[in-house]
Amino acid sequence: MIMSSAVAQAGVSAQHQARGRSSSLTRSRVRAAWLFIAPSLIVVTLIAGWPLARTIWFSFTDASLNDLSDYKFIGLENYLANYDGEWFGILIEPDWWHSVWNTLWFTVVSVSLETVLGIVVALILNAAFPGRGLMRAVILIPWAIPTIVSAKMWSWMLHDQFGVINDLLLRLGLIAAPVTWTANADTALWAAVMVDVWKHTSFMALLILAALQMLPQDIYEAAKVDGVSPVRVFFRVTLPLIKPALLVAVIFRSLDALRVFDLIYVLTSNSKDTASMSVYARQQLVDFQEVGLGSAASTLIFLIIALVVVITLAAGRVRLGEDPR
Amino acid sequence: MADVVLKNVQKSFGRVKIIHGVDLDIRDGEFVVFVGPSGCGKSTLLRLIAGLEDITAGELFIDGERVNDLVPAKRGIAMVFQSYALYPHMNVYDNMAFGLELAKSSKAQIDAKVREAARMLQIDNLLDRKPRQLSGGQRQRVAIGRAIVRDPKVFLFDEPLSNLDAALRVQTRIEIAKLHSDTRATMIYVTHDQVEAMTLADRIVVLNGGRIEQVGTPLDLYHRPANLFVAGFIGSPQMNLIACEVAGVGPDEVLVSLPSGGTLSVPVAPETLQPGEAVTLGVRPDHVRVSPQGSLTGRVELVEELGENHLLYVDMGQGRRLTIREPGDARHEAGSTIALEIDRTSCHLFKASGEALPSRAGSPRPAPSSPDLTRVA
Repeated sequence: MIMSSAVAQAGVSAQHQARGRSSSLTRSRVRAAWLFIAPSLIVVTLIAGWPLARTIWFSFTDASLNDLSDYKFIGLENYLANYDGEWFGILIEPDWWHSVWNTLWFTVVSVSLETVLGIVVALILNAAFPGRGLMRAVILIPWAIPTIVSAKMWSWMLHDQFGVINDLLLRLGLIAAPVTWTANADTALWAAVMVDVWKHTSFMALLILAALQMLPQDIYEAAKVDGVSPVRVFFRVTLPLIKPALLVAVIFRSLDALRVFDLIYVLTSNSKDTASMSVYARQQLVDFQEVGLGSAASTLIFLIIALVVVITLAAGRVRLGEDPR
Repeated sequence: MADVVLKNVQKSFGRVKIIHGVDLDIRDGEFVVFVGPSGCGKSTLLRLIAGLEDITAGELFIDGERVNDLVPAKRGIAMVFQSYALYPHMNVYDNMAFGLELAKSSKAQIDAKVREAARMLQIDNLLDRKPRQLSGGQRQRVAIGRAIVRDPKVFLFDEPLSNLDAALRVQTRIEIAKLHSDTRATMIYVTHDQVEAMTLADRIVVLNGGRIEQVGTPLDLYHRPANLFVAGFIGSPQMNLIACEVAGVGPDEVLVSLPSGGTLSVPVAPETLQPGEAVTLGVRPDHVRVSPQGSLTGRVELVEELGENHLLYVDMGQGRRLTIREPGDARHEAGSTIALEIDRTSCHLFKASGEALPSRAGSPRPAPSSPDLTRVA
């Protein structure tokens, strides 16, 4: 993501220069620019472009995991096809749309919570207090634990019979009977959101903290002298100034959340009720051996993620590459 | 409009004491400049008055009210920062209006105030611009405008001109002086630039190491420095300071023996001075003259031509150097030997403790047409 946008920007500025009067110095600079970005272009093509192209190609075939060399082109049939007046394909598959809904819900709820909590944590960590350095390190621990480990850990803590969370809530008298957190469709996605928030709030907080530390301190003193209330200063000064960094953080987290797989897979196993798009694609690809269908699902995931990014950027009116000051 | 009174104000950061008990009485409508070398505590003192730092001990009164425990906004002050401190994402208008929006003034009132201040500062054509689209001078005007619209009792300026280039600094300096004469508001101004201090101030406060060295009008400090520090700090080029010994004491004069030989009678009250005591003779570069009859001789090391006058740096032997300012173009070259005489009535004499001895020379400024030049005996 970072690499490809950098390449795109370099391309734009190169075009921009070529359009104007191009002296030999400009031409040699453009040449040098291309030379410098060539390695990353090649790497991105190899590790991202090629697998993506292959997946998109497979989505137009009837390939099966049994024998990947034996397939034929079937056009859009994996997506949508009509046989004798009856429609087939992923696009009319209720399970697929349910997984899309699950994923979007999970993304919106978890990223919103992480953003709000991340801002709160970052503001606290930005204030001067003894032990701040230690706190900044400690907060990263959940993020440093591999998702598969934390998912397993939480699935034990949320266990309906032996889990520490049910035990705690029972003792406190908040619930009357143990809750099947991860098996119950009503609570399973909330459980997944909670674990995701637990894990990724620190990442959000860290990105926001970096933005906060870039802010000039004198304007806060000016606001103090002017008697502007701290709440107003936050909404009128701090928030607008960290908005570009905040949007980058939100986009990063959204991309991750839209691809969520391991957390939901471990926490709720293969339940259809809570499946995310990635869980659905894996099921088609591995459990049902349908490489064509799985690739079609993956391609749709790619398109949905791209759409969400475009919408987020447009909504935030982020002009990439512009200096916010 | 208000007076500002500091009573034994002290400030410590942890165990380090920055301000050691400052007593100061700033009158209503006065323009007071805090001046001193870096680290003397002048900015800290201003921030204490602003309320951006807490006062460790002592009392601060603004307009008769004790404000030690009041937040900055309640003190009736406005501050202009060295770095301008403009909100980078707001345009000029919003930068000036932002602090007013909660003061329960109506939109129309705010608008009128902002436009009036903008007109006064000639930035009314820039109201839609963001700070990044402005030059340094324009940004500083916006910062001053933001202070004006608040209608403060006291204006605080923290080195407001130090980020501007020389020409703009002079121009903005004049505008601040004009602002003071227009509004007659009390102003406290921090600078390390003594030209700003001399030109703007009604009274200058010279600070050193967290203590007040002297408070007085600009000419007071120039002509009657209370001690060696003020003598060395005020005036450019610096006053020549020569280590001497007391040779004799009269009722209204002290005879000192110069290190290069010879004696000089300085018209100051000797107080308790005894012959043999070490003293420091201070003489400004303008009060040393090149004269064929002069009994002091030295070799010109360096000549600096400034157009309307020139500076001679003269080596007096044994590593001692004297700076001389003479009108017009230089008539001597580096390397030449010249004879000098000192205007003894314009000399200052400092005790070993650094304190100045009171002058007995009558008028501090002898008329230039009839200088009372006494040759060194």
